[in-house]
Amino acid sequence: MKGSQWGLVGRRVCSSLWARLWTHVLTAGTMAVALFVFGALMLAQENLQNLLTEWGDQIQINAYLDKGLGTGEVSLLRDKIQSFPEVERVRHISREQAWKDFRGALGAHSNVLEGLPEDVLPASFEVFVKPAYRDGPIVEALANRLRKEKGLTTVEYPQEWVDRLSLVVLALHWAKWVLGGILFIAVFFIVRSTVALAILAQKDEIEVMQLVGATEELIQAPFVVEGLIQGFIGAGLSVLGLWFLVLFLRDQTLTPIALFGSLGQLQFIDWRGIALILAIGSLLGASGSVFSLRRFMKRWKG
Amino acid sequence: MIQLFHVSKIYPPNTAALKDINLQIAKGELVFLAGPSGAGKTTLLKLLFREEEPSRGQIIIHGKDVTKLNSRGVARLRQQIGLVFQEFKFLPHMTALDNVALAALVTGVPRQESYTKAYQLLRELGLREKYDAKPPALSGGEQQRVAIARALMNDPMVVLADEPTGNLDANLADETMRLFREIRQRGTTIIIASHDLDLSQRYGTRVISLQEGYLVDDLSPLKEGRAG
Ligand SMILES: Nc1ncnc2c1ncn2[C@@H]1O[C@H](COP(=O)(O)OP(=O)(O)OP(=O)(O)O)[C@@H](O)[C@H]1O
Ligand SMILES: [Mg+2]
Repeated sequence: MKGSQWGLVGRRVCSSLWARLWTHVLTAGTMAVALFVFGALMLAQENLQNLLTEWGDQIQINAYLDKGLGTGEVSLLRDKIQSFPEVERVRHISREQAWKDFRGALGAHSNVLEGLPEDVLPASFEVFVKPAYRDGPIVEALANRLRKEKGLTTVEYPQEWVDRLSLVVLALHWAKWVLGGILFIAVFFIVRSTVALAILAQKDEIEVMQLVGATEELIQAPFVVEGLIQGFIGAGLSVLGLWFLVLFLRDQTLTPIALFGSLGQLQFIDWRGIALILAIGSLLGASGSVFSLRRFMKRWKG
Repeated sequence: MIQLFHVSKIYPPNTAALKDINLQIAKGELVFLAGPSGAGKTTLLKLLFREEEPSRGQIIIHGKDVTKLNSRGVARLRQQIGLVFQEFKFLPHMTALDNVALAALVTGVPRQESYTKAYQLLRELGLREKYDAKPPALSGGEQQRVAIARALMNDPMVVLADEPTGNLDANLADETMRLFREIRQRGTTIIIASHDLDLSQRYGTRVISLQEGYLVDDLSPLKEGRAG
């Protein structure tokens, strides 16, 4: 197409968008909601994945000490664990240290701890595993061995959680595409009918253009551009919504939503995620138009 | 050169509008299509710009078989054909000037050039003061002239006119015919469907008569061209 033809397309797009402004706003809004749901699941998936990667990198076992243990017993036990071949290093966290860490983690909110005795938290060993042994089954075997040691009440290791949460990540991944897919199909049909309205409203115009020799691309391009713009704006709105969601959640460190404690470090989706959302929106908009056009153009040719 | 070979048109389910038409029209001819209502005049014109396709036969325009064109080919064909049809509407929310310029804009002529040419054509057709009016505010005769201006925008090889003088008084009809002959001087082929036998005789051009879908007469008076 030549420059003047693009000018014609541009003017037709503007007048069509303006003539059915509210239909377009509603369609873009619906699109935004669908993509927001998709994006929110993506956000959850990515952040959980980050968390897991972080944990996985520092594979360590937390072994909590019996409260009755004396200092001598503690250091004996420590030496014993240190002698296991998989163990790189053992760090003793005293009850006082645990308390301090906890207060530190709460930061400004630490006043909620007032009145609690300072020894509510048990002392523990942080057992660091040698890099060569940082593998699910090996860590699990080591943890089981530690569980048999007298003087240790509970033995926890994040790998357990990593494994379980990996399933959640997988579930989120699928939910994102399944739920998203259903919503996208619905949005596709909505866009298609919005464009159908636009096409019907411009039936005379199309007819005149056909009779003066406009090519099919020239007649159809404005509708595709219209759908594209609609989709892009809808996607842009959803990204904006997600951004506000992240800001909101970062503020919620002490509400029940703060399950994993680290909402303050919640990451926004990266540029690839944003690009994906914008691409899906534009694609939905444009394809809704194309399918709508196919239907009408066929019918009008008789 | 326009050629029709054994062209028939049957509208579904079974209205035979044209029956085995054979016809040749040379470049630069001015031809009247005559015949009573329902004879098939409009149908014949519609076959020429591919609004309709023939049920049988071949239509060759400037060496191209128009029944075999794809959508791009149809668009290109129509860019070379000027149409003056009553039911070929204007866009009511656009001015006469916009409507005329549109014909060139869709073919990719720059905006400035399109508008200059559209204005010039409207001026030549005596619509200098009406170029800014919207079509519904124009009289029948004025609309007809806007239609002619639009038909001439792309310097067409062929002009097809269906009852172009139908809405016009005798003076304007004469004026329109004068215009068509002027266009013809540039080598444009002009085909006019009309009831008005008087008009065709007055201009002494070739008259092709249709009746109930048959080509019944094809007269090329010796006087041809004298009035032109
Ligand atoms: N779209 C159509 N579908 C079905 N039949 C049609 C269609 N268009 C025209 N016809 C029929 O084809 C025949 C020829 O019609 P056409 O319009 O070509 O006649 P015409 O010579 O132009 O008549 P008029 O002088 O009244 O304009 C008529 O019988 C008409 O009813
Ligand atoms: Mg007719």
